[in-house]
Amino acid sequence: MDFAVSLRNVSKVYRQRQRSERLGDVFRNLLRPTVVRIEALRGIDLSVPRGEIVAYAGPNGAGKSTTIKLLASLLAPDSGQVRVLGMDPVRDRVRYVGRIGVVFGQRTELWWDHPVAASFAWKRVVWNIGRERYERMLGLVRELLGLDAFMNTLARELSLGQRMRADLAMALLHEPEVLFLDEPTLGLDVLARRNILRFVRDVNRERGVTVVVTSHDMDELEQLAGRIVMLHRGEIAFDGDFASLRRHASDRRVFLLETPSFASLELDGAERTGGENGRHEFVYDASRVRLSDLLEQAAAQTQILDVETHRAPIDTLVADLYERWQRERT
Amino acid sequence: MAVEPGRAPLRRLLSLWAIYARMDLLWVARGLRVSVAWYLGDLVVSLSAVTWSFLLAERFDGIGTWSKLQVVFMLGLALAVRGSVEFGFGLNAAFPSRRIGRGQLDHMLLMPQPLWLTIASDGFCPASGSGQLLAGSAVIAWAVHALALPVDATWLALLALHVFSAASIMLAFAYLWGSLAFLAPRAAEEINSSTMRLLEQLKPFPLDGVGFGLTFGLMTVVPAGFLAWLPSRVLLGLEPERSAWLWTPLAALVSVALAAWVFRAGLARYARTGSTRYLSHGFRR
Repeated sequence: MDFAVSLRNVSKVYRQRQRSERLGDVFRNLLRPTVVRIEALRGIDLSVPRGEIVAYAGPNGAGKSTTIKLLASLLAPDSGQVRVLGMDPVRDRVRYVGRIGVVFGQRTELWWDHPVAASFAWKRVVWNIGRERYERMLGLVRELLGLDAFMNTLARELSLGQRMRADLAMALLHEPEVLFLDEPTLGLDVLARRNILRFVRDVNRERGVTVVVTSHDMDELEQLAGRIVMLHRGEIAFDGDFASLRRHASDRRVFLLETPSFASLELDGAERTGGENGRHEFVYDASRVRLSDLLEQAAAQTQILDVETHRAPIDTLVADLYERWQRERT
Repeated sequence: MAVEPGRAPLRRLLSLWAIYARMDLLWVARGLRVSVAWYLGDLVVSLSAVTWSFLLAERFDGIGTWSKLQVVFMLGLALAVRGSVEFGFGLNAAFPSRRIGRGQLDHMLLMPQPLWLTIASDGFCPASGSGQLLAGSAVIAWAVHALALPVDATWLALLALHVFSAASIMLAFAYLWGSLAFLAPRAAEEINSSTMRLLEQLKPFPLDGVGFGLTFGLMTVVPAGFLAWLPSRVLLGLEPERSAWLWTPLAALVSVALAAWVFRAGLARYARTGSTRYLSHGFRR
């Protein structure tokens, strides 16, 4: 298989100075500071085929941003091998960064005190993009991302959503083969978020761009990617599709019952999470408890007027998963 | 689909300078009030940087063995050197500690070109950064006229060589000290403000008559003597040594080589540690 991204046994350790606030420790802090080793990545193996969208997720401090920095040529691994498009991002930096696009949700590549159009013109020269290609890509991103309304606005005066759209457009002007998106929808409203997601999907589908995207918003990642890689304490804790993730995390479902009686119900294997005026809400794990058993229990207690079930949001499942990992750690 | 990095570095540099010059012109010309305020402010800063040594020369009719007009020439040269740095290395390109300390080096590493090309181009500000260079050139022209110096093509070439070399030494000094920010990004973020101020304060004084130890220090550890004093001695014909015209360019070569070596070592460290800090928009402001 043709892999766009390949990480082999990649590890990265940071050294973090710890400082006591006690006055008596002044000399100790100066001469023999306490240094803590933070293992950001521990022997990561990851391959991403060309044209795939991969969601890269995990709790804070799991190693997501470190991975994106390694892939963006901003950081070298302590050990292991990073290859993207067959190149070493740090050693082949000049050739490499011409073939990738990077968007950091918390940073901007736009020129702060210039209109968006000026940043694009700057990019054309610095990236040495041919006139024909530039015009074609500019036309495409202008249309798909709706940039016309603010092409002549200074970057510092853009709203967050506009800035993100402009940054994303700029990252694509040179037709990168791989796109790294680090929390691209951070702080955006639902509409701006939807537009960005739609655009990334279109770019992937129509242009075959490989995308690695990190986010804390699981719903968003599920809409975007077919595959999710989850990190936990620097190791890959899960790599698969979202259906498998649901099974892995626990198949939590919400179970709603409507009864003529206002009295509360008790069901073995289900946790009551709310309800009033004859509506009762429970949550249960479908991988352990059968719905028919719950219905039987309920029917034994009262008359059932209506039943509804639906899957718990992926965010809830993942939060449970993080909690489980944390418990296992302690 | 790949973007081909330019093969001819000089052509690349010229095209980069062209886009940065265009952006700089558009920036400074974005409104009459802004432009006037910018240039007036620049003029005040330029003049205040050299006023005190001019006042000293005026009060004592010269400084040491230097006549008042010779001091004025040296001040013009000092302005032109600083102006050259502003002209070619604005937007914090001459303050690498800020870019490193603020995590903005990442922006430079994401550009598909060698880092030296980025450093040599992305602070090119011929419109907003020309104030001190123009002021310095005017002061030099006036002093040359008043001193009735014999000016020919060789002398002008020598002047250009010394301005270029002195500006290179100033930059090398900035990169040498600025590389400390690789070790302590937050603590050393503003170290270049201090190193620049140090050179600014020391460069407009003639070092004749100063003791050997101090002169040696001001030609090596803090190379302020190369920025205006020694070039002025050569250009004013005060230096008896025939090879003296080579000293400043040679010092520039050594300084740049040393700074490049230290900066590269810092970059290797940066690749290992990365940056944990980021302030948006800093160097592009």
